Amino acid sequence: MTMTATAPRPAASLETVLRTAGWVGLGLIAVAVSLSDFLTSVPADATNIGPLLAAPSESFRFGTDVLGRDMLSETLHGLGVTVRAALPATLIALATGALAGFVAARLPRPLALALRGIIGILSAVPALLLAILIIGLTSRGWASIAAGLAAAPFAFVRAFEQAETQERARHSEYARAAGISAMTLLRRDLVYEFTDTVLSSAARALAAVTIILSTVSFLGFAAEPPHRDLGLMIAASKGAFLQAWWTAAFPAVALMLLILFARLAAGLNEGERA
Amino acid sequence: MNDTVKPVLAVRDLSVARGDHTELDKLSFSLNGGETLLLLGDDRSGADALLRVLGGFTRRGDDVSGTIRAGTGDEMPAARRTNLGIRAVYLPGPAAAPLNPHASVLSQLERVVARRHGSPRASAREELRIALERLPGAPSLEALGQKPGALDAIALTWALLAAALAQAPELLIADHAFAGLSPTTIKAVVAALTAEQARSGFALLYSARGLQTAANIRGRVIVLRHGRVIEEGDFDKLARGQAHAYTRTLFKALPRPGDALPARSMRGEPLLQVHGLDARAPGGKAMRQRDRLSFELRRGASLALIGEEGSGRRTLVRALIGLERFTEGRVVLDQVDMSILSAAMTARLRRRIAFVTGQDDALDPRMTLWDTVDEPLRAHLGLSRELVSGHRETALKRVGLASHNGKTPVALLSPFDKRRLQVARAIVSAPFLAVIDEPLRGLDAFSQSIMKELLDDLRKQEGPAFLIVTADVGVAQALAEDAFFFKAGKVVERGPLREILKNPKDEETRRLIEAALGETLL
Repeated sequence: MTMTATAPRPAASLETVLRTAGWVGLGLIAVAVSLSDFLTSVPADATNIGPLLAAPSESFRFGTDVLGRDMLSETLHGLGVTVRAALPATLIALATGALAGFVAARLPRPLALALRGIIGILSAVPALLLAILIIGLTSRGWASIAAGLAAAPFAFVRAFEQAETQERARHSEYARAAGISAMTLLRRDLVYEFTDTVLSSAARALAAVTIILSTVSFLGFAAEPPHRDLGLMIAASKGAFLQAWWTAAFPAVALMLLILFARLAAGLNEGERA
Repeated sequence: MNDTVKPVLAVRDLSVARGDHTELDKLSFSLNGGETLLLLGDDRSGADALLRVLGGFTRRGDDVSGTIRAGTGDEMPAARRTNLGIRAVYLPGPAAAPLNPHASVLSQLERVVARRHGSPRASAREELRIALERLPGAPSLEALGQKPGALDAIALTWALLAAALAQAPELLIADHAFAGLSPTTIKAVVAALTAEQARSGFALLYSARGLQTAANIRGRVIVLRHGRVIEEGDFDKLARGQAHAYTRTLFKALPRPGDALPARSMRGEPLLQVHGLDARAPGGKAMRQRDRLSFELRRGASLALIGEEGSGRRTLVRALIGLERFTEGRVVLDQVDMSILSAAMTARLRRRIAFVTGQDDALDPRMTLWDTVDEPLRAHLGLSRELVSGHRETALKRVGLASHNGKTPVALLSPFDKRRLQVARAIVSAPFLAVIDEPLRGLDAFSQSIMKELLDDLRKQEGPAFLIVTADVGVAQALAEDAFFFKAGKVVERGPLREILKNPKDEETRRLIEAALGETLL
């Protein structure tokens, strides 16, 4: 009979590398977005800058689209619009998701279970449809809030389960036996569980809301010209895409990078859905 | 030593170092067939390093030197040994969680035995069955068809021992295999082990932390500290007088008959009054009138609830502090009738109840060391930051944790440090009642001595009443004046512990006392 050796897993260091790469990527995107007015040659949505549907060349590195807009400038502006809409959505997803989940788990039992049930049902609805429903009930201006709320149920359920595990653990039993209140136990969850994971939760939420926001825009329910985001740009390229690949490819790559970096920063949790 | 008998194992100048730290420093000993060698010491004694080398699972970074000779083989360098050449069997304890939690105990042990003999699984199973049948008190083979989580520590200990014996060892290396068991169980297991040793004549190398097992096994002892042998000799001789101060502290943990605390005067107002309580286990049937409990616990008094696992001690404690509803009887805690209080009010009352338990997951593993001590002060009293840190400092100093980094998560602390931290948390909550549940379980003898002192100090300074839940009369004797002895949910004997120890009336009481302080331990 031998003892099982507890060697450090090499996977841990790989994960750190990936996470760091993700945060560096997000940082670069943040720099690009905040400097987009300097990096681009023309303002957003300026038409007839060059010939229509010109292929990528020396003067137009990303080519031009069907209205003669410079794709390089447009992609950068679109990325900015997407990021600026995604940030408040991320905060909303965090607050109504992870944070609310921890709080709900420490509420009186019947209330906690009722909440868990309702949110559980919501998490079974595709987030995209939920977002469209909320925008439909309000207005386009609510797109960020809608995306945040739509992405929240999964985070809520995850946080709730995490708190439940702690609730059932022996140390919680001893704490209650010594008169420690639910509020104090909630504080433990927030101080040690929430703050520890808040950055990766935020990155995960960022990826989720970006997908929702872009898809909603693509379908035409969110962003409006002249503030075109990446989703709307891809939608606008529908007519010319088969002849001029660059009209859709560059916004798509930008969107892909944003989501990829956010997922990497979150630690590449597989099986995660928007 | 007789020259014609070649020792089963001879270790010469064995050293193990990790970086600058020397874990084991030039250890030499030899062990004959049928002989027993006890290694005594604490977590950093170096015994672990020795067992790693002998067991063949040295860690990366272990710098090993010295030689080992096993059986009739030649002396070989310890660093390069792959196979001892004799049947050396490693016996872990259930606390080390040596089994996979997702497969049945039987299938795993069967495979171990089958591998050793190179025999088919079915015949290994029969070997295992025979080994179990030879051990009086061991569970049946069929009972082991469950996953490790479904079996208690006692059954697992028997199972692991049977699997080790089924491998027909020439050398049995036990890595504090019986630590954390109750005295009665240790007595039974050691008796079975020594009977098997006498029958088949294997050499036994037992690394012990506590003295309970050591006192049952006896034989030759090597006391190790920081990798060096500081004392050596026969157990009985060492128990009578120790040359080294460290050995003295170790042996202080050994309970001695006649050490019981004197009965305290009956003055002081009652903290806990119990009238006709029916403290049955949840779902159990109602108690008969004469089995119902009535007693009083005065402020600062100490009552030990002694019995085997599952004898109803914890059910009683849960009923007393309002965690379990009871149907019959009345409990008055701190002048308040518990049955008329709402759940929120009993919770409020329980703020002044502290727990010190042998369960290492009793503290939140996520919390930091400081936060664990601060929490009762902050949550219950709302003290200012300076006051909190003042109280924390004092409490940590008293338990000897003041020099630790306060930001260390509890999960990274050693069992002894966790145990001490529980005492610190108890100190700051100024309890009127402390529930002390197997406080020494799984600790080494040195830590046990210190833990006893800390609990004694807690009682002297904060003055809470003690409710001690234990299966070890030695623990009760060190901490309590009065005792209830439990069997199958009932109190079979009660009174001043001193009197009971002198003249136990009930069969169960006698058995419990015998196991912990029996004449063999004199």
